[in-house]
Amino acid sequence: MNHKRWLRPLALALLLGVAAAGLQARTPVDQLIVGFSMNNLLSLDPAAATGNDVVEINTNLYDYLIELDAKQVGKIVPGIAERWTVSPDGRTIRLALRQGVKFQSGNPLTAEDAAWSLQRVLKLNLAMASPWKSYGFTAKNVDKVVTAPDAATLVINLPAPTDPKMVLYTLATSVSAVILDRKKVLENEKNGDLGNAWLTTHAAGSGPFTLQEWRAKDTLIMNRFDGYWRGPAKMKRVVMRHMTESQTLRLMLERGDLDLASGMSVPDLEAMKKNPDAVVEAMRRGTMYYVAVSMKDPKFADRRVRLAMRKLIDYDGINTAVMPDYGVPNQRPVQLGLAATLPSPGYKLDVAGAKQLLAEAGFPNGFKTTIRVLADPPFINIATSLQSTLAQAGIQASVLSGTGNQVYGAMRERKFEILVGRGGGGVEPHPHGSLRALVLNPNNADAARLTNFQGWRTSFFSPELNQLIGEAEVERDEAKQTADYQEVQRLYDTQVGAIQPISQMVDTVVLRRDLRNYQAHPSATTRLRDVYKQR
Amino acid sequence: MPLSSIVTAPTLRAAGNRALSVVLTLLGLLLLTFVIGRVMPLDPVLSIVGPDADKSTYDQVFRQLGLDRPMPVQFGYYLRDLLHGDLGKAMLTGHRVTDDLARVLPATIELATMAILLGTCVGIPLGVYAATRKGRLADHVVRVISLFGYSTPVFWFGMMGLLVFYAWLDWAGGAGRVDLAFDGVVPTRTGLLLVDSAMAGDWEVFRSALKFLILPACILGLHSMAYISRMTRSFMLAQLSQEYITTARVKGLSERGVVWGHAFRNILVQLLTIIALAYGGLLEGAVLIETVFAWPGFGQYLTSSLLLGDMNAVMGCVLVVGVIFITLNLLSDALYRVFDPRTR
Repeated sequence: MNHKRWLRPLALALLLGVAAAGLQARTPVDQLIVGFSMNNLLSLDPAAATGNDVVEINTNLYDYLIELDAKQVGKIVPGIAERWTVSPDGRTIRLALRQGVKFQSGNPLTAEDAAWSLQRVLKLNLAMASPWKSYGFTAKNVDKVVTAPDAATLVINLPAPTDPKMVLYTLATSVSAVILDRKKVLENEKNGDLGNAWLTTHAAGSGPFTLQEWRAKDTLIMNRFDGYWRGPAKMKRVVMRHMTESQTLRLMLERGDLDLASGMSVPDLEAMKKNPDAVVEAMRRGTMYYVAVSMKDPKFADRRVRLAMRKLIDYDGINTAVMPDYGVPNQRPVQLGLAATLPSPGYKLDVAGAKQLLAEAGFPNGFKTTIRVLADPPFINIATSLQSTLAQAGIQASVLSGTGNQVYGAMRERKFEILVGRGGGGVEPHPHGSLRALVLNPNNADAARLTNFQGWRTSFFSPELNQLIGEAEVERDEAKQTADYQEVQRLYDTQVGAIQPISQMVDTVVLRRDLRNYQAHPSATTRLRDVYKQR
Repeated sequence: MPLSSIVTAPTLRAAGNRALSVVLTLLGLLLLTFVIGRVMPLDPVLSIVGPDADKSTYDQVFRQLGLDRPMPVQFGYYLRDLLHGDLGKAMLTGHRVTDDLARVLPATIELATMAILLGTCVGIPLGVYAATRKGRLADHVVRVISLFGYSTPVFWFGMMGLLVFYAWLDWAGGAGRVDLAFDGVVPTRTGLLLVDSAMAGDWEVFRSALKFLILPACILGLHSMAYISRMTRSFMLAQLSQEYITTARVKGLSERGVVWGHAFRNILVQLLTIIALAYGGLLEGAVLIETVFAWPGFGQYLTSSLLLGDMNAVMGCVLVVGVIFITLNLLSDALYRVFDPRTR
């Protein structure tokens, strides 16, 4: 047989293939193509939307009153509000709004829209009402405390004493604080739902992009809004694709069919770090990976057992082997980089010390227990490490892995023994954000069902800490406040809280090298208006 | 064949019984899914409100979803709505389940149809070829190919396919159904992108859709190809050892006539059944391929609904799968009756 007859076309095809593989940068130069898992993207309504993904999207569809600088943690910069003042008693925030801004519908943006948007969040009482309720806002009082005396002024009276800075941070970072086009939303209201059903899949904002289409778990397309008050965005379109497979993301990034991807697995991230066409960017978030124990369990109610648990975590091992690209070491309940953050307490794996404590507590041979954990990395890897270090002290722990629903559901019911999880608010660059979520427990009764407080979920109840956190929150002297928050951390250390942080979350995105001005934001309010491609 | 010879009183009665059993099967399926869904430790409320919501928000959403009513009442409401063609709202997307299904099903149908076409067109000749060369090298090669195709995880094939044909050779599209530049360019009529683009006369979109479809369809088709060729081979072997084949050969019929004219004609009905079942399997089993290729189809929808405990969506999916299998079964039965007079 004449081999040459088929060898030649084959060689040609292979050559062409290799040549084609060399072609890069295939996405259109004026469109940003993003790939990530949209499994957690359930609703676009700013009052109902949980999770970082929706924050990233809504940040570009809507405007915030004020914004947080992406590079300097804690620095507030103007958004729709040009100026803001806080009254001397710290109970009133007055914001002066920019005039002449128009929504994408053409309606003018006024302070009434801003007030109505905030009032709506509390009246609907959906997921995003949580931060506001923690400041004392309720569906009943919100009409009185959030007002617009004129079209250019928004006044927020704080119903309860708190640090007004914390409220400003929430205004700048919470997706619930975006300004909705009241007229447009009310046109689409059904059965008094304040437009909730419509806003699930639509948007009515003044941001740099308009929502063209969202097909759940498929594609989300945003178009440039040419009438944007800061001037039109650089990209004409942003296309987001639902992609759950890390290796597919990697192949598409390598081929240049994607500009940006998030949610990739560690091996793929490591591979992309070596790719000259890609940049891997890690961004620290405020939430912590932790090991929690339930103090409803008499064993863990004993401080010595909790202390033994603290000594049975292989912090170094976990942080070097499991956490790269997921988190950075942090053993405190306060996020890194704040003025109040104390240096690391330097906990280490200490099996002998733990054994001694366990013996003192009446468990010389350890005990049997269970670890609840999400089935995904890095959670499951942390749990496996914990399981083996616990075993060294005689504690036989079986690992129960499940979905977020099963793991955190059990925690909300206070029905768990040990849990490896992630949490802690931390959207606001303020110690109170993490402490409220991880430590505070205003009422330890089962009937109180304070499921939004992880302190309550673990049954860790410390009146001293509650009081100290409360005092620090309203302290107007910054130096004193910082000292108070440091005292909180020292006390938490001595009392051995039920939640032991191991690592602070890091979110890693991979971008093509030709992308410019992409600045991932610690609070997920990543703005795409200035992003462009240079080829 | 006159129609009246098929539609007789006994056949009508049989059809009535059949319809009743179909309805009862579907009802049982729904009840089972409903009970399992409620027993499973999945909490759709938590998926909606997030892990940090407080009690009042949680309770409010719990009531909004109707979960505060007793289980039989919930199921009763579900059936009542079902009779009106309403599968309820997908708790997590806020859309009607029927709308969601109308969106995701065509994507999977397009993929599975292409896959079964490829699987059948390659699988049947391979199986016949192997059977006629039983015990010889060709037979072994075909058996190895089908064993490989059947036992290798489709997920792995998907990844390898992407690596070779998309990333290296650039012969196929990557993830998704069509090049992003063509997304939403042709109006949606059937949801089948090849059909829609052809109807719109937009051949660029058609080419792009075909480029994206061909790889996942080939990989998915490989699995059914392996199955179909294996079954074809064994059906053919059974036929080829029959006396009438020997008679035909003795009468001097050509080998091609014996194989295709006699033996193959007799296995056609059996083949139809297994192809129908394989097709049903593809429709609901494309989950992994849809994940690898970010194919926005039924498989992805079903899994994500399951993981989040969105029972309205899950029950809608179960109903669809049930209906697909029952329809395919009925269809293959009907075909039996048409092609094989002995079953009438």
